[in-house]
Amino acid sequence: MKVKLRYSHEAASKPILAEIILKTGLLINIIEAKLTPKEGEMVIDIATQGQALKRALEYLRAAGLEVTELRSLVEVDRERCISCGACISPCPSRAIRFDESLDIEIDERRCIGCGICISACPRKAIQLI
Amino acid sequence: MNEERGKEELRRYEEINEKIRRGDAVVMTAEEFIEFVEQSGLEKAAKEVDVVTTGTFGAMCSSGAFLNFGHSEPPIKMVRCWLNDVPVYKGLAAVDAYLGATSMSETKPFEYGGGHVIEDLVSGKEVELRAESYGTDCYPRRSLETTIILDDLNQAYLYNPRNAYQRYNAATNTSDHILYTYMGTLLPRYGNVTFSGSGQLSPLYKDLNLETIGFGTRIFLGGGVGYVVGEGTQHKPQSGFATLAVKGDLRGMSAEYLKGAVFHNYGTTLYVGVGIPIPIINMRVAATAALKDEDIPVDILDYSVPSRDRPIIKKSNYAELKSGKVVIGDKEVPSSPLSSIKVARKIAETLKRWIEAGEFFIQRPIELLPNYREFKPLKIKKREVTVGDIMMPLKDLVLAKPEDDIKKVAKMIIEKNIDHVPIVSEEGVLIGIVTTWDLTRALAEDKKTLKEIMTRYVITAKESERVDDVAKRMAEHHISGLPVVDDVMRVKGLITSDDISRKLVGRRGI
Repeated sequence: MKVKLRYSHEAASKPILAEIILKTGLLINIIEAKLTPKEGEMVIDIATQGQALKRALEYLRAAGLEVTELRSLVEVDRERCISCGACISPCPSRAIRFDESLDIEIDERRCIGCGICISACPRKAIQLI
Repeated sequence: MNEERGKEELRRYEEINEKIRRGDAVVMTAEEFIEFVEQSGLEKAAKEVDVVTTGTFGAMCSSGAFLNFGHSEPPIKMVRCWLNDVPVYKGLAAVDAYLGATSMSETKPFEYGGGHVIEDLVSGKEVELRAESYGTDCYPRRSLETTIILDDLNQAYLYNPRNAYQRYNAATNTSDHILYTYMGTLLPRYGNVTFSGSGQLSPLYKDLNLETIGFGTRIFLGGGVGYVVGEGTQHKPQSGFATLAVKGDLRGMSAEYLKGAVFHNYGTTLYVGVGIPIPIINMRVAATAALKDEDIPVDILDYSVPSRDRPIIKKSNYAELKSGKVVIGDKEVPSSPLSSIKVARKIAETLKRWIEAGEFFIQRPIELLPNYREFKPLKIKKREVTVGDIMMPLKDLVLAKPEDDIKKVAKMIIEKNIDHVPIVSEEGVLIGIVTTWDLTRALAEDKKTLKEIMTRYVITAKESERVDDVAKRMAEHHISGLPVVDDVMRVKGLITSDDISRKLVGRRGI
């Protein structure tokens, strides 16, 4: 599950991720981070689900972070898309492929929201959501 | 084979058209034909199939439209003209214009361009027309602003000087930074491969020897009917890079097959849908119409080399490229197309339907296209300033060895008033570089020998390189000096941003 964390001034000075990893043993992958000593935003991927995920999210919230669960990071405007495939190979997480009818398909679980596909699309058919 | 080319041995155009009229012509898309040949053999397929339809839908920068706006009251000799802020070529008569696909909007460059205007016109959208003039006795008006739609124009025809490349090279990037090219986004260090063209559906590849596609061939163009009006620019059929010049009335075309597009940091273009019927007039044509993706070679080129002769990284083919991964060395690299195979297929199917319905007839070319054309480079005749012209030569350089004492080098730097010291081996081969900044750091950190502080990954230049290219490299890496080396990395000199700015003041040609 990908989660966006927003750090406030107080939270930014605490090693919250390190604590949660040590405490729960969960595998957490930092996908994107923009942190300053004052505040910040981070997208992480927590490699778990169900109860364990719920507990992890509760922990993050209790530590003072604003937590948003990311179900999908980008979307394709089917009206604009011409199924060319220019977005497929530039995707660093290999989240994009052709489906059987050669339409573009984005695997939400793999997408890391980096946005390379957005600039790679000659039709400007992909947007961050 | 030249005399043989175009010979109607299996069937004549008249016979094919008669069958189309009667509604019993046998038409297959190129992919259906391939399958049929595999099942029944080439002989039988050639005997039974009258026409094979093809298609491609890709970015074709050499595309555009000739437009005639009609005369305003009082009339104007348009000298400068814009459609939705996209400059239109006005070196023609008063209200004739050419709208090129890569011309970019002056207010929204890299976002909207000539290709988009064509798409908008064909969609029936209103487009803003602005024009300026100096005013003449016969054309007194000096400016105008209005809106137009496609139906307001007297003539509006697509005229594309180069479309439908027979096949096209694929692209990858060996450098360590991302590239944004007309071949799309190329990730660093062989991160991906992009390719263009529709492979086994490619109109010109299916008639590899150009036996049926020629001047006057009737084609599917942008969803309507168009014609081949000659060889395309950069036509190079002897190596499988034949191209076409095509023309067709924009009225009757569909925005589904004409799409404005943007390649990030490159510019705007137009995706054009082209479909060509290949009449199976002889066995040679049947054989090339049956060629499969794996039979069509594609070189993967390194687009990080900023040269017209880019090195070939791998010899591949459309089957491997379309599979989604290409093996380069020991690495599996993702590959993806820039042309839409889905739409190419749809074009071949649409054209097939048109012929089956008796709405589209096969035109014998008035003249075949040349099957050989020299492809000439553009020579830069004025000598350009090279690194060798302005670099500090070897004899004036301070060089050092890795084990040299820092203090000794610091002294030399002061005596000679320089900033960069290349570190070389006994043979004079470059192994590192030290700058005055490195020495400052050495002092702060109490280091003794150059080995401890030198930069080992050195950006270099060659004597023959243009100063302009080297200046760009310095800026990219935020450095102020590059050792100049030969092919075996022996130091030949040093070029600094100081040299460039001081020695080139007032000089031109870089």
